[in-house]
Amino acid sequence: MAQQETETDPHDLDGSRRRFLVGSSRLAMLAGLVAGYGAFGRIAARFLYPAHAEPRQWQFVADLKRLHTGESLRYVAPTGEPVAITRRGNRGDSSDFVALSSTCPHLGCQVHWQAQEDRFFCPCHNGVFDPSGKATAGPPADAGQSLARYPLKVERGLLFIEVPVERVVRGDGRPRAGGRA
Amino acid sequence: MNSLGSWLGQRLPLDKLDLRELTNEPVPYHLKRWWFALGGTPAYLFVVQIVTGILLAFYYQPAPSTAYNSVRYITEEASYGWYIRSMHKWGATLMIAAVVLHQMRVYFTGAYRKPREINWMVGMLLLICTLMIGFTGYSLVFEQLSYWGATVGANIADAVPVVGGLAKRMLLGGDRYNANTLARFYIIHAAVLPVTLAALVATHIAIIRLQGVSEMQFKDEDPSRPRSFNFFPDHLYTELIMGLALMILLSALATIAPAEMGPPADPLSTPEVIKPEWFFYVAFRWLKLFSGSAAVLSMGAVVALMFGWPFIDAFIRRRSRFQEASVWIGILGVLAILGLTVWEALVAH
Repeated sequence: MAQQETETDPHDLDGSRRRFLVGSSRLAMLAGLVAGYGAFGRIAARFLYPAHAEPRQWQFVADLKRLHTGESLRYVAPTGEPVAITRRGNRGDSSDFVALSSTCPHLGCQVHWQAQEDRFFCPCHNGVFDPSGKATAGPPADAGQSLARYPLKVERGLLFIEVPVERVVRGDGRPRAGGRA
Repeated sequence: MNSLGSWLGQRLPLDKLDLRELTNEPVPYHLKRWWFALGGTPAYLFVVQIVTGILLAFYYQPAPSTAYNSVRYITEEASYGWYIRSMHKWGATLMIAAVVLHQMRVYFTGAYRKPREINWMVGMLLLICTLMIGFTGYSLVFEQLSYWGATVGANIADAVPVVGGLAKRMLLGGDRYNANTLARFYIIHAAVLPVTLAALVATHIAIIRLQGVSEMQFKDEDPSRPRSFNFFPDHLYTELIMGLALMILLSALATIAPAEMGPPADPLSTPEVIKPEWFFYVAFRWLKLFSGSAAVLSMGAVVALMFGWPFIDAFIRRRSRFQEASVWIGILGVLAILGLTVWEALVAH
């Protein structure tokens, strides 16, 4: 007759060895499942997370000599985003300049310049910014958010700006020119 | 026929009585009133959405350079494309409206109270899931509203403390809208959320079957009438009539007000006047009234309150003499939502 599974092991009279083995193998099984599926979950999440930050590059804007104090120019980034660059000083370094993003800091819509009102206006949630980019009304003013400023640097008398370079095409596929406006 | 019957019977050993029991839940008599049979409407519309959605997927191309033109092709060139797309669009509108009406019925009749708290919460998940499908859906057309709606939506996620940045990047597949974004919205809209919704609907119905539908007695009813009627065929006929009526309504809406093409997405220019779909008017107006984080956190708090309402209501009823406070709170809530929606609908900014 074959030995029955339930038969008591003469070396394990109180069943503690069996309980230990059952418990530890359950634990090992659970740990294996958690580690296996957990690792897969982590790999899947990492796969979905963007592999790198948005690429940015330094781009040439203007010769310092051609932009005088108080003057502004409209620079168009390779993404097509217009950037208002104003010269405010005459020290000859990047602190002379301010480059305002046209992306509303509230929820990311594009602000419009309204010349008659001398202000930037965001049509999404009625954010208002003065010409220096400071929010004066709407949700951005409540939260103390201003228009973002792009990093600038001056090298050998030339002004450069660091901007994103990847763009999303328009819905109808019409291209937009980048570079200086 | 008999031999085929026995061949099948051997391979699919179904007990006819069990099957009858399973499909023939007694339906409480008050479901003879249409107002109380609203739960089946979104379920039916969900099926319409799946069928029309699968048809649309045959032509739709989820990339920024192709999406708009593929939707234009569906709308203007594919045979009956305008009809299928309009059915899908109006189906979404009616589905959200039906979910909201069903939820209002459940709320105002107190059908969420013990022991149905869990099913109320499953229902809330269904509401959120339905709204998310609506949001990701209109983002796919890649017209101006699609692009800016998706941008605003992702930045709303960003305003959530701690996990916001991660959620935004996961949703967009980058720091901002990029070449991968549309594919994400598409797969979320057409696979992730519908599967989630189907699982939630199954749970919702399973819990209803386990608990039975809450029964109601009306003053004008004959007390000697039977308390319930059979699901098959009585209630099934009701649902079939509703399904037909909905198909007629959808076809009429699709013909009278077909889905059109808005201006194509332009990542560089937010239109002077921009509004989301009607079901987000309330959130859109709220976002104009308060700063980013305050608006997002308060909206989150409202949703959390709605989730936990059965327990809050039970607490109020236990601790105070205002037994029907929920009715007044509900009326105030509905008026607030209606007020904000109408306000947003009436003004340009």
